[in-house]
Amino acid sequence: MKRLSIFVTLIFIVSLFSVSAYAQEVLKLGIPLPLTGTNAKFGEIEKKSYEIAKEEINARGGIKGKKIVLEFEDSQGKPEVARSIVERLIDVKKQPVVFGEYSSSCSKAVAAVAEERKIPYLVVTGATDDITQQKYKYVFRLNPTNAYYAKGLMSFLDTVVKPKTIAILYESSDFGTSGAEDMVHQAKKAGMQVLVKEQYEKGAVDFRPILSKVKAAKPDVIYMVSYVMDAALLMRQIKELRIDAKLYAGGAAGFAIPEFIQNAKEASELVMTATLWSPQIAYPGAREFAEKYKKLYKDYPSYHGAEAYSALYVIKDVLTRAKSWKSEDIRAAFKSTKMMTAFGPVKFEDKEGYTNQNFMDTLVMQVIKGKHETIWPLKYASAKYVYPITKWRERR
Amino acid sequence: MEQYELFLQTLIAGFMLGGLYALIGLGMALIMGVMRVINLAHGDFMMIAMYIAYWLFTLFEIDPYVSVFIAAPALFLFGLVIQKYLLTPVMKVESILPHNLVILTVGLAMVFSNLATVFFTGDYRSTPVSYASNAWYLTDYWPESPIELSLSMPWTLSFVVAVIITIALWIFLTKTDTGKSIRATAQDVDAALLLGVNVNRVRMVTFGIGLVLVAAAGCLFIPIYYLYPALGKQFTNVGFVITVIGGMGSTNGAVIGGLILGIFESMTATYIGMGWAPVGRFAIFVAALIFLPGGIASIIRRRRLGK
Repeated sequence: MKRLSIFVTLIFIVSLFSVSAYAQEVLKLGIPLPLTGTNAKFGEIEKKSYEIAKEEINARGGIKGKKIVLEFEDSQGKPEVARSIVERLIDVKKQPVVFGEYSSSCSKAVAAVAEERKIPYLVVTGATDDITQQKYKYVFRLNPTNAYYAKGLMSFLDTVVKPKTIAILYESSDFGTSGAEDMVHQAKKAGMQVLVKEQYEKGAVDFRPILSKVKAAKPDVIYMVSYVMDAALLMRQIKELRIDAKLYAGGAAGFAIPEFIQNAKEASELVMTATLWSPQIAYPGAREFAEKYKKLYKDYPSYHGAEAYSALYVIKDVLTRAKSWKSEDIRAAFKSTKMMTAFGPVKFEDKEGYTNQNFMDTLVMQVIKGKHETIWPLKYASAKYVYPITKWRERR
Repeated sequence: MEQYELFLQTLIAGFMLGGLYALIGLGMALIMGVMRVINLAHGDFMMIAMYIAYWLFTLFEIDPYVSVFIAAPALFLFGLVIQKYLLTPVMKVESILPHNLVILTVGLAMVFSNLATVFFTGDYRSTPVSYASNAWYLTDYWPESPIELSLSMPWTLSFVVAVIITIALWIFLTKTDTGKSIRATAQDVDAALLLGVNVNRVRMVTFGIGLVLVAAAGCLFIPIYYLYPALGKQFTNVGFVITVIGGMGSTNGAVIGGLILGIFESMTATYIGMGWAPVGRFAIFVAALIFLPGGIASIIRRRRLGK
């Protein structure tokens, strides 16, 4: 009997030891993402990208010798769900750092929890300006804010096109309205006159009435903030009405993904768009990531994918440099981040009313011969921009 | 000159949109007239037809305009089945709620759009036909023209097909026996029964034809628009507004109502703002209910009686 109890105890101790040994080798990171609901598509892209990054990091020995295990938690795109997920991650699972989420509203909810619990949070895709304008100490943001999306485009306009007038069409959603407001602001700063500023209800069938109005106003630039299907319809109807502007430009989103070209076909030719990232950009690792993603999932990732992929590298960098995994040390490590990722340079700065915000160049892409090419800034360009734009009548 | 151009272009756009709207409204009005039921799943039936057209295009490269002849009969059969096994049994049930059938159609709408999300995901889809952005231009035919007007090829095609279908329906309703019994049932169910019309069969056929019309509308819409599972609601709204403007069940009223709605929406978009178009739609809806409760049909009837 005595021998048996010793044996049992021994087994117990051994198993305990092996469990703790296992725990030492593994770092579990929970990531809130919308995996169902309307934003599920973007959640999916990010999930796949996180996993690519995880494989790569683990293949090179993980973080401080620990293999990473990612646990995706479905927030359904609802801020209250995202909030409760993160509360559990921090309070129950004692995760040292939080990152993830897709939409601005969810990121905002998570940021509030993280600040309250004093656990560093890395915003990966939420773009609304005010997330990093609240003087939060523990919230860092990898992606540029909404106000900076069109920065690259503006510099292209200033140097090459020098337009005097602009027409702005936008979807009547949060995203569309804020994008349009930012553009009005920047256009005025650049001395452009806003001739038409019209919103439309998402799902509109016929844009020709407002487009006819745009045609009558004869703007130099037509700037549109739309999701993909509206973007394609707009360009198709612009071609049909033969509205000749010096430049057609989209504010990221719908204009920046391959589906835009598939749907708008030849009407998409020479259209420009602001974007944060593109698969052929010259950042180290960007092209490799894009090709790997394409090999696995048959399609190039959008910039959301690159953001997620790079976010895990930032986390790795921060956790490796941190003196300990206490929140103050991790925060200090975030503050001193200075690294290059597939998404671009990362450095968290306090300026222009933002705290812990990563500022970076945003790009301009143009559809050239049925393909998105990066054209601006010139140092990252994959092709020479085509300007002036051919008139519709002369296109065949 | 530019103002004329703007006005004419808007008018053309509104007229074409109205023609397509009319096709959606026609089916709804027909069902309303015979069955005394607002079919709130109308737009979702259209969504089903659009998915048929989409898959035929994607898998077999069948042009959406050809799909009209496939999707419409398919939905006709589907309509017969739904009418026979779902609507008729519910119609017979005595219940506290007088509008069982309307509630049933709401349920159907939810089932359809959710099933579509499950099977086809929430992705946006379209059929990028090669002639999607082709158009005819006034200045190509008359170079000295002071104004430039354009006519989109797919829109014009869709509009013409819609007109042909509407005329075919009119001939069917006025010249054939089945058509006459449909109209008889719509006018007075009891009298039709007394005169030996098989009302149940007429109801089935009517529901089927209503779906044929909306299926055709779906196939005509997909080359100029796009598709996603929740699209039905928006077009159910359109059909509903048209049915009310037209006068609850009048087919003539529905055609005129569709055109009015299309032109009104385009004019609002040009002269007030595109964000206001949906507001305009409901303003006209409320106005019709208050000032013209019988719809356009009541005007037509009054003129006839006056003679």
